[in-house]
Amino acid sequence: MLYRSRFLSFAIALLLAVGSSGCAMLETRQTKLQAVKTVGIISAVGDEFTFEKGGLTGLNERSQSFPVGSWGLDDMIVQRATLALNGRFQVQPVTYNRSAFAAVEKGPIEASVNFIRKDPFKNLVQSEVSPQGLDAYIVISKAKSKFGNGGRKLYGMGFITYGTVLASYHHIHALYEVRVINGKTFDMIEKRVAQPLDNAGAVRLAGPSRLVDESFSPGVVDPARNDKLQAAITDLVARSLSSTLNDMHLAEVR
Amino acid sequence: MSIKFTRTGVPIQMMFKSRVVGSNEVRPGLELLTKYTDMVRLDVWPALLNEPDGYSRLRLGTPLLVLVASILLCAPAMAQPAFTLPAPPFELPFVPPASGTWNVMVGVGGEYAPKFEGSKSSILSPVPIISIRRVGSSTDQFRGSRDSSSIALLEFGDLRAGPAAKIIRARKASDYSELRGLGDVKTAFELGGFVEYFPVDWFRARAELRQGIGGHQGAVADLYADFIVPVMQRFVISGGPRFSWESTKATSPYFSVDAVQAMSSGLPAFSAKGGAHSVGVGAQVSYRVDPKWEVRGYVEYQRLLGDAAASPLVALRGSPNQTTFGVGASYSFDFRIR
Repeated sequence: MLYRSRFLSFAIALLLAVGSSGCAMLETRQTKLQAVKTVGIISAVGDEFTFEKGGLTGLNERSQSFPVGSWGLDDMIVQRATLALNGRFQVQPVTYNRSAFAAVEKGPIEASVNFIRKDPFKNLVQSEVSPQGLDAYIVISKAKSKFGNGGRKLYGMGFITYGTVLASYHHIHALYEVRVINGKTFDMIEKRVAQPLDNAGAVRLAGPSRLVDESFSPGVVDPARNDKLQAAITDLVARSLSSTLNDMHLAEVR
Repeated sequence: MSIKFTRTGVPIQMMFKSRVVGSNEVRPGLELLTKYTDMVRLDVWPALLNEPDGYSRLRLGTPLLVLVASILLCAPAMAQPAFTLPAPPFELPFVPPASGTWNVMVGVGGEYAPKFEGSKSSILSPVPIISIRRVGSSTDQFRGSRDSSSIALLEFGDLRAGPAAKIIRARKASDYSELRGLGDVKTAFELGGFVEYFPVDWFRARAELRQGIGGHQGAVADLYADFIVPVMQRFVISGGPRFSWESTKATSPYFSVDAVQAMSSGLPAFSAKGGAHSVGVGAQVSYRVDPKWEVRGYVEYQRLLGDAAASPLVALRGSPNQTTFGVGASYSFDFRIR
């Protein structure tokens, strides 16, 4: 009897210990976010625009990149994100080395194993952002997505012509992801890729995109001076940013 | 019913799959592509499918068809999520949160394939399909109908590589008259790896090397090449040559006839050796009617070679020509988790 009672006590103690540590392990991002009062917003997606050809292509089709920093896309993103988050957090202006954040591109080896690699943005937030000491930093950076049946990947902002036997289709895309990084420990609280918009239609990209006509092509107008292209990309980002922040429960009012 | 599960990236694809090209093969459920395709696959393989007569398959299919039909009727054909679920009460460490928009694909299909490898007659099996994945994960990534379940753990430019696995269903002598007197072969699990290369969007070369456990203990190598031709953005045709090599330990359990089996089956004794196993061609078509509806079809032809073709089981009671036809239609809708 005594043995049974001791065993029972031990079992309960063990259960409580496991339960409490389990609760800590299973802490939701909501719990983590509740401690966050001050945030800084970093955006590094709008420095360049790529043009690619996919589908039925020649053997040596290479992508082209054009600088579009003059569009002011990152400033627009920071401005809109600030407006969206201000209801919940105290957003403080931060200065950062935008080119360092924009230059982070995953190396040639990438895939599922990446989840065990150290996120490069943690180091950048530590070394390239001022002021330090805020509760969290929201980092908006370029994302990648597969396109079509093959191994083609698209990155950040761009335009792709998809060639088929019967026709060619033109798409623009704005692929980005949002990270919330703890300002004290620099651990990532959450990361979310911007989702496709409702009008994505038959295009299946892991981010905002839309079908456009050929007038958006770089062969017609220099991208940096193509107002139509700038307006379309800005619209993609603006519409998807609020839903992404909502999905991350960042834009909710307390 | 067996369930296999793997972690990570997010989208979970659950697929009820019956026989795979070339007869006895079924795919184990376990596919996890890059974080961009972000796929985890859960395959549920009902033991009922081992029934020889095929009727149990149909009985299994009926409730699933009802489920599929109910979902189709309930889900609005729109871009907006069909329904919203509350956020889960907890999150698992190292696993991305479930919040966001998810896509569900439900569908049905049928596959007409040889009853067992080397058989000259075929049977029709229903293939219900259910997949759940996060919206935005690549659903267009090319996948051949003969590919094993695989995990692309490494991507190096246009090269992808990772582990691959396949299940070869048990072959019971009592299931078919042609096998009477031959021994049973247990279910084989083939584990190994794959490498595939996309030099351009419209061509893929893939190699798999797997080691058998269980029903056979041999090595199997598959080589596939596919030309992927988008006729229109929604209509893609693909196809290309296939080649398989098997070691003696992989070939013998299915194609050898020992002295005792020769006595009871009436077939001459035969010792099957390894080597070139089969050569063939395959083709697939897929047409996305609209963002929600998609139809697919494929045909795979294999000609058995070497001792597999020379086996008395094939030469006297079967055929070295193995053809599989498959068709399917699927419907997709979105739901949201807060």
